Amino acid sequence: MKSRDVFSYSFSAIKLRKLRAGLTTLGVVIGIAAIVALLSITQGLQATITAQLQKGFATNTLIVSTGRSSGVSIIGAGDSGFKLFVNDTQTINEIENVSMSLAIIQRVGYVQFGGKNRTVTIVGVDFAKYASIYSSTFVAESGDIPQSPENDTVVVGKRISDPWKNATLFCNVNDDVEILWTNATARPPKNETYAGHVSAVLQEVGGFGIGPSDSSIYIPISKAESFFGTDECDMIIVKLENDDTATIDSTSKAIRNAFDKQVTVMSSTAVLNILSNVFSVIQLFLGGIAAISLLVAGIGIMNIMIVSLMERTREIGILKALGMKSRTVLTVFLGESAIIGLMGAAIGIGSGWVLANVVALVFHGGGVFFGNQAAGTGGISITPALTPTVLLGALVFGVGVSVIFALYPAWRASKLKPVEALRYE
Amino acid sequence: MVAIVEAVNLRKTYMLGKVPVEALRGVNLKVESGDFLAVLGPSGSGKSTLLNLIGALDKPTEGKLLIEGVDVSTLNDNQLAGLRRRVGFVFQFFNLIPRFTARENVELSMSIADIGRAERRKQAEDLLETVGLKERMNHKPAELSGGEQQRVAIARALANTPRFLLMDEPTGNIDSKTANEIMGLIKRLNEEKGVTIIMVTHDQRLATQAKRAVQMFDGVITREIVN
Repeated sequence: MKSRDVFSYSFSAIKLRKLRAGLTTLGVVIGIAAIVALLSITQGLQATITAQLQKGFATNTLIVSTGRSSGVSIIGAGDSGFKLFVNDTQTINEIENVSMSLAIIQRVGYVQFGGKNRTVTIVGVDFAKYASIYSSTFVAESGDIPQSPENDTVVVGKRISDPWKNATLFCNVNDDVEILWTNATARPPKNETYAGHVSAVLQEVGGFGIGPSDSSIYIPISKAESFFGTDECDMIIVKLENDDTATIDSTSKAIRNAFDKQVTVMSSTAVLNILSNVFSVIQLFLGGIAAISLLVAGIGIMNIMIVSLMERTREIGILKALGMKSRTVLTVFLGESAIIGLMGAAIGIGSGWVLANVVALVFHGGGVFFGNQAAGTGGISITPALTPTVLLGALVFGVGVSVIFALYPAWRASKLKPVEALRYE
Repeated sequence: MVAIVEAVNLRKTYMLGKVPVEALRGVNLKVESGDFLAVLGPSGSGKSTLLNLIGALDKPTEGKLLIEGVDVSTLNDNQLAGLRRRVGFVFQFFNLIPRFTARENVELSMSIADIGRAERRKQAEDLLETVGLKERMNHKPAELSGGEQQRVAIARALANTPRFLLMDEPTGNIDSKTANEIMGLIKRLNEEKGVTIIMVTHDQRLATQAKRAVQMFDGVITREIVN
């Protein structure tokens, strides 16, 4: 029997029981849609986070920290009491391939203006160097970022100036704001405060990352040292002369050695690798859960095929009496489930894609899951990514599961003896 | 003349639960090309079993069955299927596929034999014309009378130009007037087109319409009648 005839025979059997076939297909649709939606959202999220990270963490930069205060948990570097100081940049600057380095001191504090106050991260940096390293994100939208700032100069992130994303501003360029920080190590804890002059509002950076943030304010490093009463810094950002893997590796090693291996040196490639690993695990986990629903659908297919086999025993007898080979009978039954699988996978991919976009819209619009915390970061925008691998994988998986679960019923159908099948009532 | 079917001491034993049932107990038979043989016998005499063996729907337990000189018991599954394609089977209960129209039912046996769409469509129409059903070819079995359904079944059996037709009580399930028409059609096929026919029946009157008849009883042929 020609394959086109086998296909149309299988299809005629499906058409006969539309509701049953529809419900069986629905199982596959749900399974595939879940897989596609979850994977394309995760991949979109990964792409967003990676892009965000790369924006704030160029490949030719390294982050040196004691491994305690960077905000990212890092392997190694236990809490040994080791401290990094602002002038440690001098040591780093002498290392080969280092083009510049910059110390950062940051604390969580408040900005007060017009009787209102907002929680912010107060970041002390060298403006000129910071602007040079983050040339695309540490950029003023209004006002100017002075190269050699006054002691009271303050640069504020977009969400500090415009926390509600409308024309109502919290503060603007040339405003004099009160900056407040609670020194919890003092006995008793003491509120430190000073008046700052807003010289610039940054462009919106969006999302999150290691570099400039919409919910931070920036003050000169010298002011930070006196205001926070310390010259201990949270991290040192190192700009390299190039981003060759060899340079990154050798310089990282040299920096670690310069501090007796008490510091942790992160490169963006290393972070991206960790991120990529984490996302692989998440994808596997979510994909696995979705795959279970597809397996359930597979069992549904098997169940239906066995019922169908019982109902059509006589028909199989007729086909065999007309000279159909056992192998063709097998193909007819497998063809039926393959058609169900193919339709289910196609509809599933479509609905999964729609679902992923709806979820992305919710993420972006309302920031229901992330964002809009006290600090007022915006919702992250995810563009669901339907890669050819996911597309093809879903199709193959959908059809594969359907066919595999139909193997047993199809095999039983093919093994029926014509005489017995014809006698079946 | 060449023997198309030759059975030598053919035996078939079924297991009915745990009890062996000897359906055929040594049948010797020879059917030549152009013959019209009626196999007469009461229910349980083994005539349907004999027909199933000749139609390669089942394998003999013992003895030899030669179809066109080939021993059926030496054939594998695929070869048996191939043999069935060269045999036309007409059943008492028609055995049409309910979801297909008359024409599609006739086409089915040709599509199993790998015949292309255009050709089988034309042949199906010709065959349905031969059995007098051209006007009703787009009707499904449920929309056809018993006699019409049997005509479709005969047209289907004639597709793929079979070496012989096997008929199991072809008029057993239709009224006597239609049965006469069907018998007329069968006789015409034999006389005018030279189709070899082996027909199983329990009806003495139908058997007289064949060229010759054999009487079966308890799994053996007890006598032969030449009409």
